[in-house]
Amino acid sequence: MTSLALKARRRRVGSPPPIVLILVLVPLLIEGFGVIWPAIQGIGLSFLRWNGYSEAIPVGPQNYIDLWSDKVFLGAFRNTAIWTLLFGVLSFLGGLLMALALQSERRGVGLYRTALFLPIVFSLVVTALTWSAFFQPHGVFDGLLDFVGLGDLKRVWLGDPSTALYAVIVAALWRQIGYVMVLFIAGLKAIDPSILEAARVDGANSWQRFWSVTFPQLRNVNLVIVSTLVIDSLRSFDVVYAMTKGGPFHSTELLSTYMFTTAITSRQLGYGSAIAVIIFLLALGVIVSYLIRALSEERES
Amino acid sequence: MARNAKRRLGGVAAAITVTALLGGCVATGGGASGITQDDTAPLVIQSRFTDDAKGGLPALIDAYQAQGGGEVTLNSTPSESYRSQLPTFLTAQTPPDVYTWFAGQATRSFADEDLLLDLSDIWSEDLGNYSEAQRKLSQNAAGKEVFIPTNYYWIAVYYRVSEFERLGVTPPETWQEFKEVSEKIKSQGVTPITIGLGDNAWLAAGWFDYLNLRINGSQFHLDLLEGKESFEDPRVVKVFETWKEILPYFDPSALGVPFQQSTTDFAQGKAAMTLIGAWFQGSVPDDVKGDLGFFRFPIIDPSVEIAEEGPTDGFFVSANSTHQKAAKDFMRYLASPEGAKVFMAAQGDTSLSANPDVKVELSPLAQQGKDLLESADSLTQFYNRDAGDELQPAADAALTRFLAEPDKLAEILADWQAASVQARKSL
Repeated sequence: MTSLALKARRRRVGSPPPIVLILVLVPLLIEGFGVIWPAIQGIGLSFLRWNGYSEAIPVGPQNYIDLWSDKVFLGAFRNTAIWTLLFGVLSFLGGLLMALALQSERRGVGLYRTALFLPIVFSLVVTALTWSAFFQPHGVFDGLLDFVGLGDLKRVWLGDPSTALYAVIVAALWRQIGYVMVLFIAGLKAIDPSILEAARVDGANSWQRFWSVTFPQLRNVNLVIVSTLVIDSLRSFDVVYAMTKGGPFHSTELLSTYMFTTAITSRQLGYGSAIAVIIFLLALGVIVSYLIRALSEERES
Repeated sequence: MARNAKRRLGGVAAAITVTALLGGCVATGGGASGITQDDTAPLVIQSRFTDDAKGGLPALIDAYQAQGGGEVTLNSTPSESYRSQLPTFLTAQTPPDVYTWFAGQATRSFADEDLLLDLSDIWSEDLGNYSEAQRKLSQNAAGKEVFIPTNYYWIAVYYRVSEFERLGVTPPETWQEFKEVSEKIKSQGVTPITIGLGDNAWLAAGWFDYLNLRINGSQFHLDLLEGKESFEDPRVVKVFETWKEILPYFDPSALGVPFQQSTTDFAQGKAAMTLIGAWFQGSVPDDVKGDLGFFRFPIIDPSVEIAEEGPTDGFFVSANSTHQKAAKDFMRYLASPEGAKVFMAAQGDTSLSANPDVKVELSPLAQQGKDLLESADSLTQFYNRDAGDELQPAADAALTRFLAEPDKLAEILADWQAASVQARKSL
């Protein structure tokens, strides 16, 4: 299919019809005006010291140099790494497990799928508020712990720096797993059942069938999900900001929330932009490595 | 597939764009010279009050027009976004004319960039009866008045009268009495002090402000907040050492308790006291309102002058306003006894008029608040208003961390100092 498409494209390269030009140029203009130009300005801002209303002072790379001695930034960097790892790995595994469990069409399976997918329809802020109430002192979670006799474990989940980040990750996972599950189900449905049937005839047990047949078949879906998850974690902001605002004392601060606090709350537009540039570079790194890998695999096949 | 990934990238880019857009054009605010005046279009008032009849503004505007004032357009934005949009408004080519804001440093940082209209003529002609403290709060660094105060309120330790009776305690006046009262409350299974830091970390700054004022006085407090003194100063350490004496009386889950929950605990008698501004009276259920009482933050060192926090609100005018005549006309009305009376009627009894000639019937609590502030040797505002809004996040982090890890005081103060220096760089 790809080679056919490529051939077709090559044939037309000489004279693109005007409609194609319009279809390419108009979105490019909108993208350029709405995304690319402000992004370039953001990079420019990161070399300034500016509060938004007084004279902007060019400071060269000083904002970037300051970042590396800023404990809050380094903490936010570490938290973002923990977040990306936990949020990414757990929603990948959780989504995959749920998809495997719910892929076959059995009675009532739609109900479970819907239940798992339902959180996606709530906005993240509503999710965050619900989970805040769940975790608050004397809240539902503490009540549950009391009920099962684990009352000793009770703590101020969102107010304790050693648990707050994980409590927020739980809330984010609750929403993400259903989404990843749907992607995986779509991937699983695309696998030709006769391949699995052949494996079964050859005497492969269910683990072998999964590990040697199903999982390799999901390769393309995996790539999408992994890159989606990495980018989702880098831009995670709303759920954290709504639940803890990055507190208590920066223990749930992510790069994205710290960028917001410095640029908007503290009015350090240059410093905040420098953080934004770092986030951008991290995201870009993921995208580029994804594209390189996807393209090289396509070439191999 | 790739489209999906691209949309995600778009999301990241959009997040960055927010920052970039805010700085849309890297232009600095110019002076007021040569602004073409236009007497026809309506005066535009930008307000941060979106509820409670928009802070009394609609009634004020109606009254203003009824006595012959010109056309007025009122724009209201929620206070959080108002705060972040204010610099954009003020540096715009054709900005809104009149703005609601806070007195003191919060206004001074805009005034010192020549973004605000000089209102000293209104002050010298019409505002002679206002207090000297209010005049100072309304001045820029050069001593020109750029702000018209409308109202101010008090901050004190609130309690429920019936709960204090039930617990067998009376409002304390000194630090020693305060500790005894707290101990007695705690021994009866009631949380002595509640504070909703879960979603309002800034509330902790009230405690820091008052402890510092009572131990080191208002001059040191203001110098510290303006960056002239360091948070690592031994005098600041003393503030926290004193604070440690009452830490056992704070709600142990304070860092995770949302403000709403803290208020409920207070209203239901699960917690006995809370240090908070007068606006708190509007947050408790109606049946508790009549049971409210408050007392002056206890005296720690009798040799230190008594300072109180009296956050002052009011209005200023953009230097780039194209309706300066109408704007000043509106400001004069706002400050007049008639205008101030209309405005105050909508404020309930949780704040006091800045105009000393406004005679309104004060509730007993409001009268007590007025006496509290009038008996003070000096007035401060609140942490973010005295230091500048930009400094609040650093204070929030330091103070909430102190509540959780009081043993790490030295590290906390060093971090606070570093974060404040960083936040001040852009000023």
